[in-house]
Amino acid sequence: MDAATSRPAVVIDNGTGYSKMGFAGNIEPSFIAPTVVAVNESFLNQGRTPSKANWQAQHSAGVMADLDFYIGDEAVAKSRSSSSYNLSYPIRHGQVDNWDAMERFWQQCIFEYLRCDPEDHYFLLTESPMTAPESREYTGEIMFETFNVPGLYIAVQPVLALAAGYTTSKCEMTGVVVDVGDGATSVVPVAEGYVIGSSIKSFPLTGTDVTHFIEQLIRERGEHIPSEDSFEVARKIKETYCYTCSDIVKEYNKYDQEPAKYIKQWKGIKPKTRAPYTCDIGYERFMGPEIFFNPEIYSGDTSTPLPSVVDKCIQSAPIDTRRALYKNVVLSGGSTMLKDFNRRLQRDIKKIVDERMQATTARHGEELKVQPVEVNVVSHPIQRYAVWFGGSVLASTPEFFAACHTKADYEEYGSTICRTNPVFKGMY
Amino acid sequence: MANTLRLYLSCIRNTLDAAMCLQNFPCQEVERHNKPEVELKTSPELLLNPILICRNEAEKCLIETSINSLRISLKVKQTDELENILTKKFLRFLSMRAEAFQVLRRKPVQGYDISFLITNYHCEELQKHKLIGFIIQFMEDIDKEISELKLSVNTRGRLVATEFLKQFI
Amino acid sequence: MILLQSSSKFLLQTLLNRVNNLEKAVELDYQWVEFGDVRYHIQVTMKNPQYLSLSVSLPIPPPETIFYGGLPVGALEAIKAAYIGIVQILDPPRDGFNLTLKLNLSKLPAQDEQRQVLLVKIASVREVVLGAPLAVVLRSLSSKTVSPNLNQLVAIVHRPKESFFVLPQAEKVTVIFPMRFKDSIDTILATSFLQELIEARRSAGLQNAPLCSWSLSPPPELKEVPAEALSANAGFVTFVIYPRHVEGKKLEKTVWSLSTFHAYASYHVKCSEGFMHSRMRRRVDSLIQALDRAKPDSEASMGTGQSKSFKGLSLKDSRTNSSS
Repeated sequence: MDAATSRPAVVIDNGTGYSKMGFAGNIEPSFIAPTVVAVNESFLNQGRTPSKANWQAQHSAGVMADLDFYIGDEAVAKSRSSSSYNLSYPIRHGQVDNWDAMERFWQQCIFEYLRCDPEDHYFLLTESPMTAPESREYTGEIMFETFNVPGLYIAVQPVLALAAGYTTSKCEMTGVVVDVGDGATSVVPVAEGYVIGSSIKSFPLTGTDVTHFIEQLIRERGEHIPSEDSFEVARKIKETYCYTCSDIVKEYNKYDQEPAKYIKQWKGIKPKTRAPYTCDIGYERFMGPEIFFNPEIYSGDTSTPLPSVVDKCIQSAPIDTRRALYKNVVLSGGSTMLKDFNRRLQRDIKKIVDERMQATTARHGEELKVQPVEVNVVSHPIQRYAVWFGGSVLASTPEFFAACHTKADYEEYGSTICRTNPVFKGMY
Repeated sequence: MANTLRLYLSCIRNTLDAAMCLQNFPCQEVERHNKPEVELKTSPELLLNPILICRNEAEKCLIETSINSLRISLKVKQTDELENILTKKFLRFLSMRAEAFQVLRRKPVQGYDISFLITNYHCEELQKHKLIGFIIQFMEDIDKEISELKLSVNTRGRLVATEFLKQFI
Repeated sequence: MILLQSSSKFLLQTLLNRVNNLEKAVELDYQWVEFGDVRYHIQVTMKNPQYLSLSVSLPIPPPETIFYGGLPVGALEAIKAAYIGIVQILDPPRDGFNLTLKLNLSKLPAQDEQRQVLLVKIASVREVVLGAPLAVVLRSLSSKTVSPNLNQLVAIVHRPKESFFVLPQAEKVTVIFPMRFKDSIDTILATSFLQELIEARRSAGLQNAPLCSWSLSPPPELKEVPAEALSANAGFVTFVIYPRHVEGKKLEKTVWSLSTFHAYASYHVKCSEGFMHSRMRRRVDSLIQALDRAKPDSEASMGTGQSKSFKGLSLKDSRTNSSS
């Protein structure tokens, strides 16, 4: 409907850990909620005897249970305070696992949080690059049949992260997106707006692992942080004090020589006794983010550092795209906001590339002149919700509405139309 | 009422028992192709007479057989508008998941609500009487589900309306 | 989550954020839309972090409703009464909006509870503005004073180009909603929901709730209304409100419930469609299990090696196997 195109589209980015939702045209999402649903399971466990008398009661109880659920932070709070609510995570490793929970999650997002009428807005949803096409069909079914949305576009997250770089520089639709999220870290090459699926590489450590590592280091040193809070405290320490250094050994020396300058204090209050406590923060400040560049300090199984993974990913991409990919490595996700992360990553990747070039020159002597490869890791202030922001930018372009699948198409052709979501003119 | 249902279902079951004698038959027109002949209907010698079993004006079942495939089309009863839309929604939901059901056809035959396509390969994989049992159970389940859906929608509406009105007290 | 809340979650969240960080200068410029085509714009500038500019745009009113200066009857008075001391109404409002308020957040009451109540009230600005005409009518019912529109039909906008009707009478107020839905499935589900509403009213515990009735054709009270305003594909719902429904604190809740009745019905129709999907998924799972049982029994006893090969075969695989 024409009226719907005059209103801003709704952009919802569903990630494994957090979902970001808001309206197109804005810089930040309206809400960032953990992707979790708390359902009241107490009704369903009442006696399974199918006697006529209590079938009616059980039926109403079942219906009531369906109306009684929470999402996001409220869900986490409810499940902690009352035992009748069970948490369920609809998205695992980027894929929707539990469609019932996902439908309920969207229902609350639209009606309770955003409070918009889904019939009035076009929708932009996101998915991970490895999603099966059936999943898009099911998403389309839910959106068109339950919520009656006038139009829907399902975008791939790395492409949106690239689009987030629009306002800062020129529109480059070729690049490698390094997405360090809460649930998964992936390195995805995108060429001309299309994801090169076979070259996607994943890296086993995530932002949660950095937090766990910091927690571990602090505990090993014997600091007194109450155990139920330690994860939260570690997370806050990570977000406030952590940074990426250029060389661990030099950093250690710096700390040993001038402790007063580098060692920070953390003040907190014990939840049970309300007594204040302080805790020193020392090497964790730079050791935390170091796990991306030296994973063996945290986990025994992984030994390939992140810069190598990025390099391998680009080397496995088609040869004509490689230079463009090296030139545009884009960071996205909250954990990439650690100070100087982009400089360290750029330096390490450049080192690998330069070594390779020297080896080639050495093999061929003076016959071959190799043009130096430019490595550029792009960082911009909206990294934390780069995907959401990219979606907001795209959904504000006039070509977006024409590229969406409309309800009329869905009624005519069925849900198979949702399988393809072409890259459209507004993207580049 | 329940009597006619039993008769209807047992009639369908017997017909399917007789009709489900499928064998592998490569396509006659195109080399190395193997197609379900009941869908193409090009060679009359490969097709058997279709049978139409009517329970009443609203409900009927069309069974078309050929040498290597069998097509069952159902028209489900819809008494009022609400049942009408619930049936449409439910059957569209099922048809979308036709891959998972294997024997379900993605689009119903013209004039019917839902269709099955059974080929000789299905008969090789699945036991014949169990397959027929599955189809009969499917038909019963559709009826049950529509009435349960209707009941739930009404119950839910009642609960929601009660909550709304309670606000005023 | 069953009932629609009167305060906007996002607005409240933003206000709380600002109030807790009043000293931090930040640039904020945000637009969003709520159901019923109510648009908001919020702005905070770096140089004056304690001022927050909130603009509201209302749905396009149909011709039969009355707007004074771009706002419903009684809205200005209601705003002044609700936000005394901290609000300044800017005239003219921001381009494209019906109302712009400039809030001075440093003047909020210091006490936590009072401040929270006021912030929630600011976040419910939609209810204050759009519900003003209805509030005026219901207030005179509750205070038993003579309403300015006694026995005259008043049209109040609740959705773009659509209105509902209020007939104030001496001891009661009749509210009539023409229910319209765009989608045919929604219409049928809504009709059944409305009939359930009438049935529910008859049940024992709800005798004190407002009387409600439903009819497919316009009720007699609406005979003077032009035909375009009366096209309703899901019938007409009539509520009769008595003074006991609007005494004291109940007035605000009644205003909100009635103003958003159509949105509520539409919300529940969509939730029931979602609920039906859950049921259907469960049914699909049970049917697929039944189909799996149709696989020959002998496989289970044959041993894992052989059963694995059967399980792996789908229709496509078996076809290629047979023809190769």
